[in-house]
Amino acid sequence: MSLARPSLTLRLALIFALLAFLCLACLGVALYQGLERELIRRDDAALISRVEQMRSFLSDSNTVELIKSKPALFQNMLGNREAILSIGVPGQPQLLTVNPGHLRMPPVTATALNQPLALDDVRHVQQIDGVPFAFVSAAFSSSELGTVQILAGRLMTERTAVLAGYRLRVYLLATAAALLLALCGCLLVHRGLLPLRRLARHAHGIGVGNLADRLDSQDAPRELMPMIDAFNTMLERLSRGFVQLGQVSTDMAHELRTPINNLLGETQVALQQDRTLENYQTLLASNVEELERLARMLDNMLFLARTDPASALSQRQELSAADETERMADYFEGLAADAGMLISTQGDGLIWAEPMLLRRAIANLCSNAIKYGAPDTELLIQVLASPDGTTLAVQNQGMTIAPEHLARLFERFYRVDESRQRSTESNGLGLSIVATIMRLHNGRYGVTSEQGLTRFEIFFPARSAAG
Amino acid sequence: MNILVIEDEPKAGNYLLNGLQELGYSVSLARDGVDGLHLALESAFDVIVLDVMMPKMDGWEVLRRLRKESDTPVLFLTARDDIADRIKGLELGADDYLVKPFSFAELVARLRTLTRRGPSREEEQLQIADLRINVLKRRVTRDQTRITLTNKEFALLHLFATHQGQVLSRSMIASRVWDMNFDSDTNVVDVAVRRLRLKIDDPFTLKLIHSVRGIGYQFDTQA
Repeated sequence: MSLARPSLTLRLALIFALLAFLCLACLGVALYQGLERELIRRDDAALISRVEQMRSFLSDSNTVELIKSKPALFQNMLGNREAILSIGVPGQPQLLTVNPGHLRMPPVTATALNQPLALDDVRHVQQIDGVPFAFVSAAFSSSELGTVQILAGRLMTERTAVLAGYRLRVYLLATAAALLLALCGCLLVHRGLLPLRRLARHAHGIGVGNLADRLDSQDAPRELMPMIDAFNTMLERLSRGFVQLGQVSTDMAHELRTPINNLLGETQVALQQDRTLENYQTLLASNVEELERLARMLDNMLFLARTDPASALSQRQELSAADETERMADYFEGLAADAGMLISTQGDGLIWAEPMLLRRAIANLCSNAIKYGAPDTELLIQVLASPDGTTLAVQNQGMTIAPEHLARLFERFYRVDESRQRSTESNGLGLSIVATIMRLHNGRYGVTSEQGLTRFEIFFPARSAAG
Repeated sequence: MNILVIEDEPKAGNYLLNGLQELGYSVSLARDGVDGLHLALESAFDVIVLDVMMPKMDGWEVLRRLRKESDTPVLFLTARDDIADRIKGLELGADDYLVKPFSFAELVARLRTLTRRGPSREEEQLQIADLRINVLKRRVTRDQTRITLTNKEFALLHLFATHQGQVLSRSMIASRVWDMNFDSDTNVVDVAVRRLRLKIDDPFTLKLIHSVRGIGYQFDTQA
């Protein structure tokens, strides 16, 4: 798995883990801060109550005496090496200093006399090693000693340890949850992608041989349905294309079979015994005819196979439709007259097309019309110009073509009469070439046949519309 | 006319050699590109027929090296009906090309065009046996009889008359008379020639238009 193509599973697992960690860590931090605040408040309250206690103690003269005579009694009073207590009268030696931990004494700040203490009076500083130290000092007047200053403080080692433990637990839990969720994510994605892997396996198994197979949409999650549908439609198109391609190859092979058979047979028969010069000449001429037909078919097949719109379209010119239809009428005049038909042309306009392809298309339509037109009728070549393009219609009178044939007329090798009166002039490719030419020009083509009137129409988009 | 044919395919080489010799040309045949180039540089030819697909040295290479020293007209033969291929050939300095399979008559006609020196002067008056053609006035008489022709019939007759004795292929006729440069599946040319014959030949004993079986038509005073 490269960086350019990261695994979806990995990505999702990482995102899961990160989100889980962030959520839990936030929660933990919030709780931690609440706890910390509460602990500080309680510690501060304890300090204040100690000072208040001492004050009430000191108002008793016995206590002062006791302190003076037996300070050791008080040394252990706090029961804690982290607490300090000092009592003194300004300008005199300290009355009592309890500092079993030998902590640095904070300076005693002057406070107003006999003020009741509030939580705000507790001051917080950091000891050298970063452990928070809280203290509160108060001054009051005693009947015995005059103004007395009391300072009570406490190093919060224990609280710090509790909080540190709490913090660690929060991080550990968050990490564990993150890992767990990452794992869950992995599993979920893995499971979620199961249908995709099944589809991939299935798709892998589809080849030219079983193009009719479709991806199974059963049990597939809804999100995958568009992909399955798209894939199946693509398969549909591919399989149609394959069938067509196969059909074309088969048809072409069949079409080739006849001329080759003629060539082979005639030549072999001719070689059976000595013949007159004229016989040989006839044979060779007949061979040339067949070979020319093969060459033409080859040419047409190549033309159809070569779908290179760019080169065809780059040679487009603006052509006068009347000139082109006139040229066609000229070209086919004799042939039509032979068939007892008269060619008439109608209309004018500009055609944006590659000249050779345009002529080829019209010529194919005209020769078709002459082939199937009834004697003593008219072959009409009509030009209908409109703002978005020009339509060329070639219309003949004759047999009506049944609707089931109409749609397939433009297919390669398609012939209306199955009996295929395979004549030298037809190879069943003419109309498919017209279709190809029109597709190259982004144009349209179509045919109608009603009441003996068959009309082929090709539409060339105007220069501005064709782009 | 002195023609050099460079073609590696044995059958193709042989028929080109025989066919062109039978028409009275002096023909040299080279069986590969190296020999061909050597011959082309060694002696003077009026025109060179060059196959593109050859072993050792292909036609493009021959053409490239030949053009450095000589501007003998070159017609190249290709089996690939590819626009890019044709353009490449013409860019390298070839003068014309034919796509295989091509008709022999077509090749001969192209070779004649390539070797014609200078623009051919348009004859005002053509006379073949007792047939007279006034090109400017588009008037045709035979044996003092005025013959009325349609435009295309006249164009066809003019093509025949200016190529007297040559065999013209159907595709060449379609291309010259109607400017239809593709092989159509129709027998338009045959029909047109038949109609022309009705007017030009049928009323007279001396026939001028002759069918050459399998190839096309020939306009001549003798069959």
